[in-house]
Amino acid sequence: MLKIVDLHHRYNFKEVLKGINVEIKRGEVFVLIGPTGAGKTTLLRIIDQLEYPTSGRVYFDGKEILTSPGLRLKIRRRMAMVFQKPVVFNATVFDNVAYPLKVRGYRRKDILRKVGKMLEMVELKGYEKRNARKLSGGEIQRIALAQAVISDPQVLLLDEPTANLDPLSIDLIEKLILDFNKKQGATIVMATHDMSQGERLADRMGVLMEGKLIQVGSPREIFYNPKNVQVAQFTTRNNILKGVVSQNENGITYVDVEGKIIEGVSSFQAGERVYVCIKPEDITLSLSKSRTSARNLFPARINLMSFSGPLVEVELRCPFPLLALITRRSAEEMQLRVGQKVYASFKATAVHIIG
Amino acid sequence: MKKLSLLGIIFILAFVYLTFFTGESATGSSSSSSRKERLRVATTTSLYDTGLWDYLEPIFEKKFNVELDVIYAGTGIALEYGKRGDVDALAIHDRVREDEFIKQGYGINRRCFACNYFIIVGPKIDPAGIKDISPVAAFKKLIQEGEKNPDKVKFISRGDDSGTHAREKKIWEKAGYEYDTVQKSGPWYIEAGKGMGPTLLMANEIGAYTLVDTGTFLAYKGNLRLIPLVRKGKELLNVYAVMAVNPEKYPHVNIKMANNLINFLISDEGQKLIGEFGVERYGTQLFIPCGRGKCKKVGCPTWKECAKPVR
Amino acid sequence: MGELWIALLKAFELILKRDPEVMQITLRSLRIAATSTCIASLVCIPVGGLIHFYSFPGKRILINIIQTLYSLPTVCVGLLVFVLFSRSGPFGGLGILFTPTAIVIGEVILITPILLGLTLSALSGVNISIRDNALSLGATEFQAIWTVIREARFSVVAAVIMGFGRAISEVGSAIMIGGNIKGFTRVLTTAISLEIQRGELEFALALGIILILLSLVVNIIMNMIQQR
Repeated sequence: MLKIVDLHHRYNFKEVLKGINVEIKRGEVFVLIGPTGAGKTTLLRIIDQLEYPTSGRVYFDGKEILTSPGLRLKIRRRMAMVFQKPVVFNATVFDNVAYPLKVRGYRRKDILRKVGKMLEMVELKGYEKRNARKLSGGEIQRIALAQAVISDPQVLLLDEPTANLDPLSIDLIEKLILDFNKKQGATIVMATHDMSQGERLADRMGVLMEGKLIQVGSPREIFYNPKNVQVAQFTTRNNILKGVVSQNENGITYVDVEGKIIEGVSSFQAGERVYVCIKPEDITLSLSKSRTSARNLFPARINLMSFSGPLVEVELRCPFPLLALITRRSAEEMQLRVGQKVYASFKATAVHIIG
Repeated sequence: MKKLSLLGIIFILAFVYLTFFTGESATGSSSSSSRKERLRVATTTSLYDTGLWDYLEPIFEKKFNVELDVIYAGTGIALEYGKRGDVDALAIHDRVREDEFIKQGYGINRRCFACNYFIIVGPKIDPAGIKDISPVAAFKKLIQEGEKNPDKVKFISRGDDSGTHAREKKIWEKAGYEYDTVQKSGPWYIEAGKGMGPTLLMANEIGAYTLVDTGTFLAYKGNLRLIPLVRKGKELLNVYAVMAVNPEKYPHVNIKMANNLINFLISDEGQKLIGEFGVERYGTQLFIPCGRGKCKKVGCPTWKECAKPVR
Repeated sequence: MGELWIALLKAFELILKRDPEVMQITLRSLRIAATSTCIASLVCIPVGGLIHFYSFPGKRILINIIQTLYSLPTVCVGLLVFVLFSRSGPFGGLGILFTPTAIVIGEVILITPILLGLTLSALSGVNISIRDNALSLGATEFQAIWTVIREARFSVVAAVIMGFGRAISEVGSAIMIGGNIKGFTRVLTTAISLEIQRGELEFALALGIILILLSLVVNIIMNMIQQR
């Protein structure tokens, strides 16, 4: 459906997209994942014809979209985009949702019917006469979605559609997106930085980092076989704990965190307030107090376990909160359960102390 | 949305009505005046401000079934309109420039039709002491006293190239002064650059002297504390003449109707109307009819020609 | 002060008695100003949209020129139009001088900078994303521009009101190119000028009051449109 060939884009002397090559199949849900500033928005905008790339080509259904002027409008009308911070027109909800139909010249009767149906779908029935600007964030997002979907686009582009929304709204919008994909057969290209959302919705995912499309594949592939450290890192979180240095012996720093001592390497002196950072993947869990070379070993209780792809996030209480990341395999082998007592250990060298 | 469409329709309808269905002429006739023939006359403010044209216009329009467009401006501007062919006829009061206009080939069929007098008006107390002396002597005294006592003695000139202004300059010349000397002679001499009405108003406010024609002075509606001080003298003669713009220079000129106007003004009927004008209201004539050769009495050199109606 | 009261009374007397000449002058003022404003709006609002959205060499200079022309002296415009449409001028053959059409032309020239400049100003106040949004939802370039103009409608209507105000209070060029001909090109402002010349100060004031009342009524109507 969409083919992007060798796309480069330079903005303000900075290369924002570096050689993007990807093919998105008809009817699939393709999720672009990556940190903020990676270039996801730019890529979507280029596909939606709102920007011209510095070089490269984009094909829509086999036709090149960026050089055929007559075709451009037609193709643009077969796509729709929901922006990150949607802006609605200063008009009624009805006028807003009817807009795409109006510009395409639909008859009043059809507009009335379609808008009514659409408002019902996004659960905004009864809002027709209200001024769209005065609604809440979630409601505005639903209007934006309604606007995008009402013209029955073949490709729906979404840029972080659920950022800053409450869980109920997120649920509704995700449901609508999937509905639209399944019922209308629309191709969905969605950008998000929420890994779990990507996993829930995607048929395939593309990891975009610093302008490069590092890996493309099913969510499973990406979790089990991250192409490089960066991908792996992006899909995880970090531990940051507050504490006070109690002692420093030749660089070995003892930090008091909620009564327990964490050993790390730094030049901070006694009495200084510091932050202790530990990557979840550097934490090892074991069922017994086995002899390890790690200088940090704490008994802990499992509070929560969330399965995220090939990994499991284990939230621990030591009593300070700690997030460990272990493979599903290990979790299964150890038969970890919520409430279980385990031992968390990590090397002093894995502890980053910052001021 | 519905409310706007309704309002919009009302708006558009009102606009259409205003544009197309509002009568143009003062009589409120329903025919669009752009279909009628039009005659454009440039005239001076002294003829216009007195209301003479307002008086004559409807009579002329009815008689000849024409729309008379009277455009008033200072004599200088009126002549300019004539030279550019923007009007069909002129009715002004500056012999010298009229003759030049004709000599240059722009004007034809000149006829005198009305006259009155210029007068020097000023404050009652007459600080320069010019009451009832000759105009030339008065001007001499004004500049002498004015230079000595600029706070007490002031003169306001039209300073706008009008017929009145032209006459003023001529009197200065006769009194032996170069005009630019007068202009630079001191703060007593004020060049207003305004029409006669505002000039009179200014003179009234600051207690100054000024030159004005009797018609305008009598007809001025405001309350003036100025009184006429110098009324007699051949330099004060003010003759109004009408002429057509030469169709040889500007073929589009409505020469037929312009001639009609000229003939009307010097006809018995026209002359009678001019003579009657203002009598009821002001107790005296504002203009003395002097068409058809009567201008001989006031020294018009071409009175013989003025006597003949235009062919 | 006494004069003002007399003028006020006279104004109401003229309105209530529906003095035919005053009515005629008033309607003419309204008609000419409305026509000028409509023509200028029909040109300036879309052109403003185009200027706003497209970059071209010299755009900044153009905007500067437009803003400088806000204070275009009316006598200059009057002189310009006069010289152009005089019989001796390039467009003399049209015979437009000393007709209401000439006044309209002069007023359109006068209010174009204001309308253009204020429209540009209004459009700058609209969120940039609106245009992207409109395009993305399937609008053509022109539809998108029109949508942005509609978003700025409050300020754009304000610009139109301002243009109208400027047009109806025009006197300098109106006299020069209209000729203040009774029954044909005389409008409220030029009539006021004439009456002052004649010394009829109270009548002039009364006409002035009528002019203000007229502007007030038009403003109220425009405000109603603006609010919706």
